[in-house]
Formats: sequence, C-alpha cells, structure tokens
Amino acid sequence: MPTVNGSDVKKVVIACDAGMGSSVMVASTMKKKLKKYDVTVEHTPVNNIPPDTQVVLCHAGLAERAKGIAPEAVIVPFQVFMGDPAFAKVESAIKDGGTLES
Amino acid sequence: MVMPDATVNKNLEGTGARARVQKFGGYLAGMIMPNIAAFIAWGLLTALFIPDGWLPNEKLAALVGPTITFLLPLLIGYTGGRMVHGQRGAVVGAVATMGVIVGTDVPMFLGAMIMGPLAAYVIKLVDRSIEDKVPSGFEMLIDNFSAGIVGGLGAIGGVYAVGPVVERLVNWLGDGVETLVDNNLLPLASILVEPAKVLFLNNAINHGVLSPLGAVEAEEAGKSILFMVESNPGPGLGILLAFLFFGPRAMRPTAPGAIIIHFLGGIHEIYFPYILMKPVLILAAVAGGAAGLLTGTILDAGLVSPASPGSIFAYLAVTPKGGYFPVLAAIVVAAAVSFVVASLLMGFGRGTKEEELHRPEDEVVVGD
Repeated sequence: MPTVNGSDVKKVVIACDAGMGSSVMVASTMKKKLKKYDVTVEHTPVNNIPPDTQVVLCHAGLAERAKGIAPEAVIVPFQVFMGDPAFAKVESAIKDGGTLES
Repeated sequence: MVMPDATVNKNLEGTGARARVQKFGGYLAGMIMPNIAAFIAWGLLTALFIPDGWLPNEKLAALVGPTITFLLPLLIGYTGGRMVHGQRGAVVGAVATMGVIVGTDVPMFLGAMIMGPLAAYVIKLVDRSIEDKVPSGFEMLIDNFSAGIVGGLGAIGGVYAVGPVVERLVNWLGDGVETLVDNNLLPLASILVEPAKVLFLNNAINHGVLSPLGAVEAEEAGKSILFMVESNPGPGLGILLAFLFFGPRAMRPTAPGAIIIHFLGGIHEIYFPYILMKPVLILAAVAGGAAGLLTGTILDAGLVSPASPGSIFAYLAVTPKGGYFPVLAAIVVAAAVSFVVASLLMGFGRGTKEEELHRPEDEVVVGD
C-alpha cells in the first residue's frame, strides 16, 4: 500500500477519463485550495498519469484503472465532484502533515 | 484506523473487467477527444459556408471536403500514434493513415484509429530491436530512415489492406445504423448507452464509436443524429431536476450547481454519482435517452459535428440551420421523461427519511 506524508506532497494529480472535463473542473477548485501550501495541481487522463505521481484524486469509478497505471501513487477516490470529503482530507493532510494512503 | 473499503456504495467499485473495458475505451476516445476542436471547426465551417448554410461562400466552402477527408483522420492517426510511441509514433502513424485515406472513398476515422497506433507500434518494435546496434554517429540517419520506411510501408498497407477492409466495415455499420433509424429502433441504443455512460464509458462510446460513424453520415447528409445519442444533456438534466425537488434532503442543495455544470458546462460526469448512489435511477436515464432519440428520429434531428462537451451551448453551436426545433425538442422531451420517471422512482420525495442518503465514507485515512 503506497503511503505519503502530506508535508512531502509537492504535486496532486486529478485524473478523469479524458483529462479534459471533470478533472479540469476539480483541478481548478483544488488549485485554489492548495496554492498556499505550495502544492501544484495538474489534470490528466487516467491512462496518462505520470509514473512519478505521489497523489492521485479520481472518481471511485476510475480508481482501479488509476491503480493499474500508477501503482506507486496514493490513489484517493472521491464520489461526488463538488464538496466530497476526500478533497478536504487531502487538503488537511497537506496542511497538517498527515499520512495519506490508498 | 484503516478503512480500505469504506465506500458505502458497492456500485462504485470497478471490477477488473470494467477497468479493462474503460481503459480500452479510454484509448479510443483518447485519439478523438484532443482533436474535438478540429471537428468543431469543421462543423462551423460547414454550417456557415456550404450552399445552404448561413453565409454561402464557394471559396471558403472548399475547406469543408479536405478538412474531413484529410485533416481530421490525419490528426486522429497522429494522436493515436503519439499515444503508442511519442513523437516518432505520431509521425509514422500520420503517414500510415494517409494510406487508408487515399485508398478509400469514405472519411477514414476508424481506419485512422487502427492505422495510427498500429504503425506506431511497428516503429516502436523496430526502434527497440535496433536500439543497441546503431553505430555511433549514424543515429539520426537510421532514425529518420527507419521511421520513413515504416511509415511508407504502412501507407502502402493502408491503401491495399486496411483501407478496403475498414471501408467495408464502415459501410456495414452505416447500413446498420440506417436500418435502426429508418425503423425507429435507434432509441433502443439508450438501453446500452445510458448505463455505460454512468460507468465512465461515456467518452469511449461517444468518441470511440458514435463520433466517427456520425462524421461519415454528416459528410453525406449534412447532419447526423448519432452525435446526439450519448451527448444529449436532457436525461441528466431530468435526473438532476428530480433530485432538486424530490431527492434526499441532504442532496437537494447540491443539485442547482450540478445542473449548471451539467447542462451549461456540458460535464456530464457530474450527474453520474447521483445515479450511482441510487442505481434504479438508471431507468430514468434510459427512458429519457430513448424518448429523446425517438423524438429526434421522428422529427429528423441531427447535428453537423460532435457536440462536445454535451452542453446546451455546444448543441446550439453545431445545430444545422433550420434544425433547431427537432434538436431542442429531443432535449426537452428527454429531460421531461427522465424527470418524470426519476421523480416516480424517488416517490416524489416521500420516504426520503427512511432512506436518508449515506454520505460516502472516505477511503482515505489521515493521521494515525
């Protein structure tokens, strides 16, 4: 099980099927939240998650695919695209240095 | 405390098979979606400048044919090649795609989706096999000629082998779709399309299958209803409206924002979680989608190019001149039917207390 400490996270990747729709939307809200912690946020198609990614946020329906593409990364699934608790979890882990694991 | 599987909703867990289908579909859609802007440019040029368009202009209308025959398939072949083997794969894929284009008389989207990745895969194998054997100083010479030769051979193969086979296939598929449309059977497609959408196969179905077929039809007929099969925002709108009025109370406040993102922004993914939380609602999506397609078939609706994203604005932009009523009717009917069915399935808001929605627990563990 990959784990990462929130304080080591430099980049969060938001993945969706095409990397053009919902991931861009989620990325733009996460970008605002994580800017002050000096964490970059990127969006990508699930099939193209970069292999060195630390943390991936993606919909639970795509989580297994994300795991296959980036086995080293912590995959954080969410269920709704707005206000899902997973977004707050990632933010608070980064803020307080908590552990994230898939 | 570790909760590796705390998702309340089992419907969300991908099975291995589903992930594999999604992944394959992702590759198909991944060749088309980055190029949607080019499809839209083609659709707009067509809508504006063809003889019965908004601003008929013979000189500019000359853009229409070469764009769909050459530019769009080449972009697809290029993108497909790039997915397999980077820039070199992209170039070889585009060259090989030229073969299927020249060897056939129909727009070669499906051919490009085969030739691009295939030719790129061949040059990838070639590159791998000669990797360590190239004498120092000859790298550029060998790289350029190996790619050039593979691309050229791919083009020849495209003209004689892949092109004719794909052309036959495209004609069969086109005939099949025509039969469905002529017999008012196209609505049956919703039985497959709507559930698949919610399982995140939306792009795979729309751009992997329907867009390429629709573009062939649109080239002949000036429009295609196939562009409306998956992308109709009506069914999702109906479900979100039903949630707004009759959904679990905790969910109601989220519906207006979701409606804006879905219907105006065209990001359909936003409504999938609502269905996944209450899977029976898929019946509403199917009923709405089918009703929209039936309306569209009867009224002869169609779009000139893919509406992507499936936003009302994208729809209006790619609706042919004089085709607004059928297209809007298909959306409105789909939304109304899916709203009514979804409202019925949620008992018009009664009983929401008993089945108060479970907020999804997190799979994430923070702290220790």
